[in-house]
Amino acid sequence: MSELALIIEDDEDLANIFAEALRGVDFEVEHIADGKMAEDRLRNGAVPYLILLDMHLPHVAGGDLLTNIIKKEERFNKTTIILTTADARMGEMYHDQADFVLVKPISFVQLRDLTARLLPRR
Amino acid sequence: MRSLNRFFTISSKDPDDTRRRRILNILIVGIGVVSLIELLISLAPSFRGKQGVGILIIGSAITFLGMLIIYLINIFRSGRVAATIFLLFLTVVFAFSDTPEEVAGGRSLFAFTIPIIMASILLVPWSSFVFSTISSVIISVIAFSINQTPNIPAIIGFFVIALVSWLSARSLEQALKELRDINANLDQQVIERTQALTASLERERIEAGRNQAILNSIADGVIVFDKKWNATLTNPAIKGMLEIPIDLIVNKSFRELIEHPRLASQSRRLLQAMMEHDTQPIGFRINWGEKTLSVSAAQVHDIRGENIGTVTVFRDFTREAEVEKLKSTFVAIVSHELRTPLNAVLGYAEMFKEAVYGPMNDKQVNMADRIMKNTQRLLGLINDLLDQAQMEAGKLTIHISPLKPAELLDALHGLLDKTASDKRIRLTSEIDDDLPETLNGDAARLQQILVNLVTNAIKFTDHGEVRVRFLRTDDAKWGIEVEDTGRGIPESELPFIFDTFRQVEGATTRVHGGFGLGLAIVKQLVNLMSGDVTVESRIDSGTKFSISLPLVVP
Repeated sequence: MSELALIIEDDEDLANIFAEALRGVDFEVEHIADGKMAEDRLRNGAVPYLILLDMHLPHVAGGDLLTNIIKKEERFNKTTIILTTADARMGEMYHDQADFVLVKPISFVQLRDLTARLLPRR
Repeated sequence: MRSLNRFFTISSKDPDDTRRRRILNILIVGIGVVSLIELLISLAPSFRGKQGVGILIIGSAITFLGMLIIYLINIFRSGRVAATIFLLFLTVVFAFSDTPEEVAGGRSLFAFTIPIIMASILLVPWSSFVFSTISSVIISVIAFSINQTPNIPAIIGFFVIALVSWLSARSLEQALKELRDINANLDQQVIERTQALTASLERERIEAGRNQAILNSIADGVIVFDKKWNATLTNPAIKGMLEIPIDLIVNKSFRELIEHPRLASQSRRLLQAMMEHDTQPIGFRINWGEKTLSVSAAQVHDIRGENIGTVTVFRDFTREAEVEKLKSTFVAIVSHELRTPLNAVLGYAEMFKEAVYGPMNDKQVNMADRIMKNTQRLLGLINDLLDQAQMEAGKLTIHISPLKPAELLDALHGLLDKTASDKRIRLTSEIDDDLPETLNGDAARLQQILVNLVTNAIKFTDHGEVRVRFLRTDDAKWGIEVEDTGRGIPESELPFIFDTFRQVEGATTRVHGGFGLGLAIVKQLVNLMSGDVTVESRIDSGTKFSISLPLVVP
């Protein structure tokens, strides 16, 4: 059974590329484009194996999702957090709270190879 | 006294003539009054019938009438004629005033000296000789008439007196003339000085008016402070700029002005420092309410170089400050907004190349590769623009942490080996043995500097190699050298190589792309790390960039 990866990214094309990269290494992908919806999903839905979180989101900022939910709730303890941002300084600010920080532009191959390494060894 | 003066006043243009006629008038009036008194006494009843009274009455009357006529001639006609008649009259009177014996050789001889002396004063100086001759002739004639020989010593005496009178009168007239000349000269000087002063005052008035007009017409606000920092002069613009009544500025001290609540506290400190240290800043910014003002100050010195006050000029910089802020925000937003779609282009191209949706032929892979390369170039340009905007806004910061030079070089090779080999250029690197294994610095920024310099070197090198060397330069410094065997930079361009938006020769922009920001960013980053970057280059043999950085970052 594939692991669940949650992509929280408001740009449709980037979300599409990220999804293809993750599917390419056999993740099951779920995509949310809005901060508020992501908040509901995180609070109520199943715990994903990996979260690809954009910092710049409509309604609720990625940083707030990270600080207020993901880092607070114990169920996310085992989840791998990858932050994506266009702003290197923003990435530095949240560096300690994430497993990886990727500064845009994010390469398809780079993301595919990185996430491949994160899959549990079977 | 004034009416008495008017009695003697003569209107003549010649000051000597005036003086002589006034003296003559005094003498005439004196003699006239005496003769009138004599006539009145002679007519008194107590003298009536006595011997000689008749002659006395006639003599007095003739004298009085004579004096009246001479007076009138002196006043209305000629002073010279009047004086001549007067002196002749006196001489004749003296000739008949005594017995012929006494006149020719006795006690009355001395009476003749009076007209001789007076002649030099009342007429021209040499006229004394005329009257001494007349007197000599008279006494000689009288002497012959009574059969005596003329009194030669008396005649000689007359001429000696005439000589003395002539000399004295001449000296007197000369002295008076000199005095008049001095007076006239003084008058001329007074006139000239007065004219000069008037002209200078007029110039000053015009100058002051012009200065005031300039002050009134300029858009900048001006306040002039005296030595003790009290405002002495302002212009209308300052009122609109500070939006406070003018009486809160004029005659108030600088200290009172900077206490105003509209002035931001940071700006207050700046202005206070300017006042306390008497500095002369140019264009530093202060915040006054909603406005941003630029302040410049210049001291005013007098001729001896002493500070007599300060002129402060305020310029409304609000719009410029807003534009600057907008520009930096605009560049930041645009750069971010451009990155996202470019990231998508790059990602899709990669997906083609990686054959995510099925196999691709070589041409298609090649095309995807070209899309990726061009997109990366665009992203590089945007990164440069963003960095430049951040530097201009003073927002770019450096994060110092331990770093390993070897890791920097590994990453560099990973990024640029392919680019170099595509151009058939060797990219080599070395680390000197005496360089510590771990250094302190901003790894990301150093990487950016390296990528920038090496990309540039590859770009401008057609064959040969690009060498990167990490070295220890001295006890306190380490360095990075990037050397190529490329076409080199013309010497005339070297001084400008680190300027913003500059590329060597306009044409290379079209061949190699880029805004010319790369080297400007390198220099600014190196400076931010308290380091320095220099360049050496020779046409057709290569270029070497040398970066020097402190081992311990301050």
